[in-house]
Amino acid sequence: MRPWLGGVLGALAIAQPLSAEESPLPPPYEGVYQPQGVDEIGFWREDDESERALAASPLVIRDAALNSYVKGVLCDTVGPDRCNAVRVYILREPTFNASMSPNGTMRVFSGLFLRVRSEAELGAVLGHEFGHFERRHSLAGFRRARSGTDLLAWTSLLVSMAPSYGAASSQRSLEMAVYGQIFRHGRDQEREADRLGVSYLNQGRLRPQAASEVWKTVMTEAESSARSRGLKKPNFKAIAFFASHPPEAERADNLAALAVPDGAARDDGALRYREALAPFMPQFLDDQIKLNDFGASDFLIENMAESGGWSAPLWFSRGELYRLRGAQRDFVNAADFYARAIALDPSLAEAHRGLGLALFKTGRREEGMTALKEYLNLKPDASDAKMIALMLPQDTGS
Amino acid sequence: MMFIRRIALAICLALSLSVPAMAQERSATRQGFELAPGEGKKILVFRPAVSVGGQSTAGMFEPNGEWTEAARRNIEASLARLQAQLGNQVIAAPEAYGEDAQNLQEHLALFAAVSQAVIEYQFFVGNRLPTKKKDNKEDVFDWSLGSGVADLPGAKDADYGLFIWNRDAYGSTGRKVLQVLALLGPGVAVKSGEHRGYAGLVDLKTGDLLWLNADGAMGGDVRKEDGSDKRVRQLLEDFPGSSIAAEEPAA
Repeated sequence: MRPWLGGVLGALAIAQPLSAEESPLPPPYEGVYQPQGVDEIGFWREDDESERALAASPLVIRDAALNSYVKGVLCDTVGPDRCNAVRVYILREPTFNASMSPNGTMRVFSGLFLRVRSEAELGAVLGHEFGHFERRHSLAGFRRARSGTDLLAWTSLLVSMAPSYGAASSQRSLEMAVYGQIFRHGRDQEREADRLGVSYLNQGRLRPQAASEVWKTVMTEAESSARSRGLKKPNFKAIAFFASHPPEAERADNLAALAVPDGAARDDGALRYREALAPFMPQFLDDQIKLNDFGASDFLIENMAESGGWSAPLWFSRGELYRLRGAQRDFVNAADFYARAIALDPSLAEAHRGLGLALFKTGRREEGMTALKEYLNLKPDASDAKMIALMLPQDTGS
Repeated sequence: MMFIRRIALAICLALSLSVPAMAQERSATRQGFELAPGEGKKILVFRPAVSVGGQSTAGMFEPNGEWTEAARRNIEASLARLQAQLGNQVIAAPEAYGEDAQNLQEHLALFAAVSQAVIEYQFFVGNRLPTKKKDNKEDVFDWSLGSGVADLPGAKDADYGLFIWNRDAYGSTGRKVLQVLALLGPGVAVKSGEHRGYAGLVDLKTGDLLWLNADGAMGGDVRKEDGSDKRVRQLLEDFPGSSIAAEEPAA
């Protein structure tokens, strides 16, 4: 009895530190890595080719200041020796994503910049991707998928040679088991990358607690998007069978537990982040608004206002968001938001345009015309100048 | 993870019966276009897109760096050997930088998209778009990349541009064994290996697609020199004005 109990307690004692593993530090850096073996060399070769195309892609944002800033945040997170292995490409694509491929190509989507609010949060995402790279997850995932599907190919052959109800049914069970294994392997890789991402932050100068906050923002955005579409709020704790990532709530909890507690007092670089991104935010916000996801866009704008205060571009974006949804009640709100943007920055031509169009829609033609005239004054060679001029009274005499 | 997405496809490949080759055209030439040998026209060859690998037992593509490098070398060498028989001067496109490279990249992608459209909506007769069979006459071949091609690097010094694309997956031992057993056992046809390629000629002044040859089942082992000659012969088989035969002349 006692040894058995002891065994269980021993198992618990071992399990305990594993589940609540505290404040890890990254493994020692292995230095410049070259691919090994047929599979890996093949992947790098394909990847080199795709990077060649990526480097010349019109989607890449080539602004030198933005690129060096993002690379700098990555280096602050993973350390200078590791970050030399990476080429960062910023893509104009308004979704929340970043990825890193086997040869050290990092793709950062512009939508990410709307969803993180500080250098620490940005570093958390980039560090996570670097973790996939350092652990060479793509290769392991490929091998897992290949051996799993190979097994299925053989068993499906055997089953088709002995067609019976029992054989077909066990083949289906095996298929589910193999797919389940492949997807679970993927989720475990995400967990490992999460752990590595925090460990980089732990040893750096940025606040590691930020990693957990990214996921909280993502969950609130998803809730907001679902609410505005009248859907049930998503369940952030359930693991779907085919999910490629662990559930968000689990990630937020784990990341919070892994961060070193005394790191909470560190700087998270929110102010520097807002300053560096300020010139690009109007464009990124515009891309986001055109995704036609009112709830998510509204949440992102308010989230940014909460961390950095309401600025003219933010009020303007909110006005655009409401005006483009285009219900009659939205135009009243939109006109109000544009007016606030103009109050902060009277030279924002597009805000005058939006204000004018929104006022027209609410029946305030005279005020609308004044606003549109101001738009044409500020931007006489706008691409829609002729169309806007049609809405103004023609000069008598001409 | 991008590989996860491929799994479903791999399974489909593994289990699908191979469809008997449908009556499908493989090449076409723009009406009125003739390229007589010895005209002294210059043909600009853009960097061939080559990807060679294996095929796992279940049908997943396994990229192979060494084979791809060998194939690229071989194909370029074969092109150089066979260029005399094209009857015109073949020059390699210069390396592009900066905005030129971006422009080139966009046009390579555009060519790939247009070629896919030609294969889907022109070569596959049953699926042919109404605009591609004017008055129900079958010999209409009217596709273009637009006059932007005139600004591509190297286009000023040449008359025509040649694009080449190749993808090979050689069946692994497991795949071949599966193929044999599946045929002997339940009588299921499993396809081993995949060899696709296409080549297209574009007028560098107007952007019109002058000739396209696309084949979903090409011969010749591009990993070897003589095999690559055979492949390039097949690709350039009915190149306008060329004297290349699909098979090497028995000499």
